[in-house]
Amino acid sequence: MPVVGERGFSAGDLERVIRAGERVADEVEVYLAEGRSVSAELQRDRIDRAEESRSWGMGIRIITGERIGVSSTGDPGAWERCLRAAVDSAHLATPQEWKGLPGPAPLAGEAPCFDPAVDPSPDAAREILWRMREGVAAHPDASITSGSATLSRATLTLANSNGLERTAERTECGCSLEAICGQSTGSEFDQSPFRDIDPVRVGEQAGFLAVHSAGGEPVADGRYPVILSPVAVAQLLAYTVVPALSGRNVHAGRSRLAPLLSTRCMNPALVLRDDPFARGLGATSWDAEGVPTRRIDFVREGTLLAFAYDLKTAYRYGKETTGSAVRGGAGGSPSIGMHVLVLDGKRSDITRERALYVHDVVGAHTANPMSGDFSVECQNAAWMEGGTPGDPVRKAMIAGNFFDALSDLGGIGTDSRIVGNAIIPSLRLTNLQVIGA
Amino acid sequence: MEPSGVRFFDIRRVRSASTHVDIDNGVVDSAGISFSDSSVIRVLGPLGWGVVSLDHFDPASAKAREAVLERGLALAQITERKVNLAPALSGLLPVPTLREDPRTVSLEEKTRLLSAIAAAARVEGVVSTRAQYTERAEQVSFLDSSGNEGEYRVVRSGFSVLAVASRDGIVQMGRESRHSLTGLNLRHQEALGREAGERAVALLAAPVPKGGRLRAVLDPELAGVFAHEAVGHASEGDLVLEGSSVLQGKVGERIGAETLTIVDDPTLPEFGFEPMDAEGVLPSRTEIISRGRVAAYLHNRETMAALGHGVPGHARAMEGDAPIVRMSNTFIENGDATRDEVLEECGEGILLIGSRGGQVDPGRGVFQFNAEYGYRIQGGSATTLVRDVSLSGEILATLHDIILLAKDRAMHQGYCGKGGQSVPVSDGAPHMLLDRAVVGGAGGG
Repeated sequence: MPVVGERGFSAGDLERVIRAGERVADEVEVYLAEGRSVSAELQRDRIDRAEESRSWGMGIRIITGERIGVSSTGDPGAWERCLRAAVDSAHLATPQEWKGLPGPAPLAGEAPCFDPAVDPSPDAAREILWRMREGVAAHPDASITSGSATLSRATLTLANSNGLERTAERTECGCSLEAICGQSTGSEFDQSPFRDIDPVRVGEQAGFLAVHSAGGEPVADGRYPVILSPVAVAQLLAYTVVPALSGRNVHAGRSRLAPLLSTRCMNPALVLRDDPFARGLGATSWDAEGVPTRRIDFVREGTLLAFAYDLKTAYRYGKETTGSAVRGGAGGSPSIGMHVLVLDGKRSDITRERALYVHDVVGAHTANPMSGDFSVECQNAAWMEGGTPGDPVRKAMIAGNFFDALSDLGGIGTDSRIVGNAIIPSLRLTNLQVIGA
Repeated sequence: MEPSGVRFFDIRRVRSASTHVDIDNGVVDSAGISFSDSSVIRVLGPLGWGVVSLDHFDPASAKAREAVLERGLALAQITERKVNLAPALSGLLPVPTLREDPRTVSLEEKTRLLSAIAAAARVEGVVSTRAQYTERAEQVSFLDSSGNEGEYRVVRSGFSVLAVASRDGIVQMGRESRHSLTGLNLRHQEALGREAGERAVALLAAPVPKGGRLRAVLDPELAGVFAHEAVGHASEGDLVLEGSSVLQGKVGERIGAETLTIVDDPTLPEFGFEPMDAEGVLPSRTEIISRGRVAAYLHNRETMAALGHGVPGHARAMEGDAPIVRMSNTFIENGDATRDEVLEECGEGILLIGSRGGQVDPGRGVFQFNAEYGYRIQGGSATTLVRDVSLSGEILATLHDIILLAKDRAMHQGYCGKGGQSVPVSDGAPHMLLDRAVVGGAGGG
């Protein structure tokens, strides 16, 4: 059953858009995203605002004479204008090889993306903020600067003129907290599709980081072993390796990994896959074009095995879709992305020998997506040995090449956590340039 | 009638049409127009805010309005901190006239013009090009419970071109972008495409410098990002109020040389222009640092009431989001040197050009940003090309390290992200010499 939302876009309305689309184009696809989210914020230690957002959006894609057109609207009453705009858009697109939208096909299973216990209500948001506040209290020298809690629920519907019709309900729960101790800051977050986030731990950890990083000492310039936390790894991955795995970038000459398929270009201990059925934020059993999702092994034992494709890119370059289409919302076209990127491999205790532990980095988005070169500032860096964080470092930049770092890897930690659409452990890098102050 | 317990409310509605063209390696990958209509209703209850955000809401319907105010009030019930609003002058500045209204130019023609820029980027050695055009026409209407109202239309448009060069497993890129508030800017831009292509090729042979502390000259674009990241964010009243800014409690204090003045001015007809801020306030210029001393913070009505020092009028919002304190057009005022004098004064060091973006932790007072490329400075002149250089620093220490400013300020356009919201901004500065800059690079020499 397609969504029958509060805005009154019924199954019949959806059918009407598809039928109208078929009269003006070879194929038509309609994507509906309807959501509700409630969030609340702490300013210092007290709640100063609560927000509720209700969104409704529709994206229409049509294919006519091997040309693809898209448009979107936030107004259910304006679907005819949206359909016309999609047709106009197709006239401009360069024709490309096109073998049709997908029809109904069985899904590989159910993805863990919905928890009925996630209730987007002000009371639930307040409860999370209070728990975080409790957590920070464990570190009396830290004070809260800001915090937020969000609970959301969405219904996504995809239907096309090949008889495909899919609906999914999704939930998401998240909280974050920033604390300060003098001029030392600490921030932590937790996010999940389920109501299993741990706000007390978030508060505790933010407070701990702020207090523990105070009074850091300078570090001398040099090359050191560095342990990147899951958060730091996820950020650097997102701006270097992830775009290089997109089939579109591979065929367009924008991926350093393009010539390395079937070669061992990363450390043999390393596994990198998209697992749409893992318990992460992007979990889904069908992609943004309705194609059943499946696990994609990008890197196994250090060998590069696959790239990610959506329909358009696959048809254009004579490949198969990997079910990797994603959408940021109802607006725009589907594009290639990750559902739940999992970094895995042979785990070991990487904190035993002394290394510079980096909790987070500032400026990961400035990494060079083509070469993988990065130089970023560290947040909450501290020397670590025997598994415990030791002397904090006041200020340090780390610089290197992330592709090379994944090749010279010093080990994969025993931890793993959800960071956005990824599940990531900490990594030990053997020999990174550190610039102190 | 508003429900009892509502101290104040405002409604901001944005209706927009967004146009995009994406040309990937000569192929028009997609081109088209999308529409949206979002409203944000803020209700100030007995203590704090209740905010409701809706797609396709009609504020003219009394029934719908009443229901949404009730909902906002219900949300506000969980707040614990009493929010007060400073009085402010409401008003609307005239929106700069469009030299050529992008909406009157067909999508076909835009696509053709963009294709020409992309084609110019394909110089020998370039293996990939991508060019994108974006245009956004907004109609914004505002009303509040004090009787203030306003409505305006604004059209922003611009393009970016990316060239990728590759040789022997090395991949490098060159990128150029220009955005405008004053009309279509796609004509006669082939030279910029060519520049992106030639830079990508030149960078293939450029070394990565070794990081360390050295003298650095920042070009107007990167020095503008410095003003934005290092000073602008730390001056935002909401961050100061939270206690997460190193500029907290520093008004009147000297933090830089007498020659240093840093301004945020939403009234300038640059990319960050706002005719009316997102709380209906008439925007005005704020000198954040005046002749080396902290002079004011950037404020909305709430932070103005709580902190003082400055003027409200710096609230901005992305469509569908609640207003927060934001920068608009942020810049360092000119000094009196020439560019050559700045390089000469530098002697030995590095010249950093263009920006791949930056980030700051204003509470800790540490910033980082990355140049698109640079040159070594030897004997007072720019010599060898270098790539992948970034700069980081501690705000308060670095401001004292600004030792010379040229008189060639230029503004560059971009988008700034904060709290999940992205808004158009411009940054600018003259060429600027930094003593003892922390330059990051993984190279050996």
